Amino acid sequence: MSQAPAAAPSMPIEFVRASRWYGPVIALNDVSTVLAPGVTGLLGPNGAGKSTFLKLCAGQLAPSQGEVRLLGRPAWGSPEVFHRVGLCPEPDAFWESLTGLQFLIGLLRLTGYDDAECGRRAMQALETVALVEAKDRKIGGYSKGMRQRIKIAQAIAHEPDVLLLDEPVSGLDPVNRRRVIDLIKRLGREGKTVVVSSHILYEVEALTRRVLLIHNGRVLAEGDVREIRDLLDEHPHTVALRARTPRLVARALVDQPHVLSMTFGADGEWLTVQTAKPDEFYGALHDPAIAAGVTEMYSPDEDLESVFRYLVAR
Amino acid sequence: MRDTSRAVPFLPSARAVFGLSLEGMLWSRRSLVLGGLLAIPVLIAIVYRLVLAARLPAEITGLHLYGYLVALFWVRNALPLAALFYATALIADEVEGRTLTYLLTRPVRRSAILAGKFAAYVVTTLCLSLPAAVVTFFVLATSRGVGLAGSVPDLFRDLGVLVLTLLVYGALFALMGVLMKRPLIPGLLFLFVWELIANLPGYMPRFTITAWLRSLVTHRPAGRGVSEMFGQVLPAGLSLVVLAVLTVAFLWLAIRIFSRREYVLDQ
Repeated sequence: MSQAPAAAPSMPIEFVRASRWYGPVIALNDVSTVLAPGVTGLLGPNGAGKSTFLKLCAGQLAPSQGEVRLLGRPAWGSPEVFHRVGLCPEPDAFWESLTGLQFLIGLLRLTGYDDAECGRRAMQALETVALVEAKDRKIGGYSKGMRQRIKIAQAIAHEPDVLLLDEPVSGLDPVNRRRVIDLIKRLGREGKTVVVSSHILYEVEALTRRVLLIHNGRVLAEGDVREIRDLLDEHPHTVALRARTPRLVARALVDQPHVLSMTFGADGEWLTVQTAKPDEFYGALHDPAIAAGVTEMYSPDEDLESVFRYLVAR
Repeated sequence: MRDTSRAVPFLPSARAVFGLSLEGMLWSRRSLVLGGLLAIPVLIAIVYRLVLAARLPAEITGLHLYGYLVALFWVRNALPLAALFYATALIADEVEGRTLTYLLTRPVRRSAILAGKFAAYVVTTLCLSLPAAVVTFFVLATSRGVGLAGSVPDLFRDLGVLVLTLLVYGALFALMGVLMKRPLIPGLLFLFVWELIANLPGYMPRFTITAWLRSLVTHRPAGRGVSEMFGQVLPAGLSLVVLAVLTVAFLWLAIRIFSRREYVLDQ
């Protein structure tokens, strides 16, 4: 008697001609792609369809047309897959009255662990994101960076095989930004499927070479981030920093040949820098950022919007 | 050992949602306001005891006043209002606070999420209302002309009716909460317009919730004149069955709708 051939193992995330619209607005249009283990950057300006893509992956939305499969099952309406999936959503939203530890334990209980295992895993996740000391403080009293890190902790605490991260380093100071980037890279190396959504090209570049470019609800390109980067050599990159003493950062950067312009915010806390070489910029930023007490750093969205306009025009 | 091939079983997951929801629900501004509202009878009872008891005719006892408070204040007005404000917000609060994502991306069935949150609502409102009812009873039942021992069974029966009030209205408003984007106005219209049908003669009161509930309050104030004609009492056994069926049906529908609905949370 002949045996039936074994089914080909499915990819962790599969989009088959998936579209999603909200009323008359098309958020994602006829997307077909597979995401394999490792880190994949999901890149696109705000409104491009990244969040819809992630929500479809995370089973929060059903595709209007086509199919989205997560770990071999339809992402919508398959709660059991979330044993193996972690999501770090973008909104800065929490049950503010819970402590960091209560928040993690509560969500781990929902993943089916007993109390002892919940406690162990929660502490492990807190250690990973360097929040052990703040574990008994209410989340309502956390800084923006701490809130971002506890959000990452809840996504990784149950050691999922698929990790969906929406703007995970947004609002982090340079030290924790480095820590989170290292964590994501490590998870990718361990064979987890990590999807990182970002509107900052250089942030994604620090994480992975594999990117999915989304623009106006369509997958514009898929492949190696360096190929895109080569197209952008002349395109300036803008970074906004918030620090106790932004002039200290400015002093350290002003001699760098790649710095094109610097502007101070009226409140005396913000510094906006335009650079032609982001890699060199971030390399030169590390020490002065610590000395100047940089607490927040982001790349304005218009920057990537212009990058996409530039790419589309080519 | 966890079975990762299926969702976490209903009871453990509902209990986990209950644990996550209870504290936020109990220690909220909503609880402060509604706790104050639900405790008003305690103040009335104290005023009666200190000032009014000696001046009112002897036939108006503390238990008469207690009967009024149970039937007209808690069962007819305050508890349905508390149910409206809590139960319509069971999921709406999570949507507004954008925390629903954390619950929907766990290996739990949505029925367990709603059940856990409904249980947290019931415990919260019971914590706010039952102590007030017990204190009111004892303040009024120990006033002149009232034998305490004989009235204690009434207290337990009333507490049961208060629980039923919270369950049936809570289930209805949980359904309205998942069905409508802005359920408060329809809920208020239901409570203070539709429920007036309970005072009509004939078959119509059976289409209200309050008519079934008030039929379970045995020492409700006696109707006089026109109100005696219209305030009809339905059989207690049938009332219990109808209220149980309504509670289950409303909850079942709420779960069905919540399980199929997409929530597009604003960024």
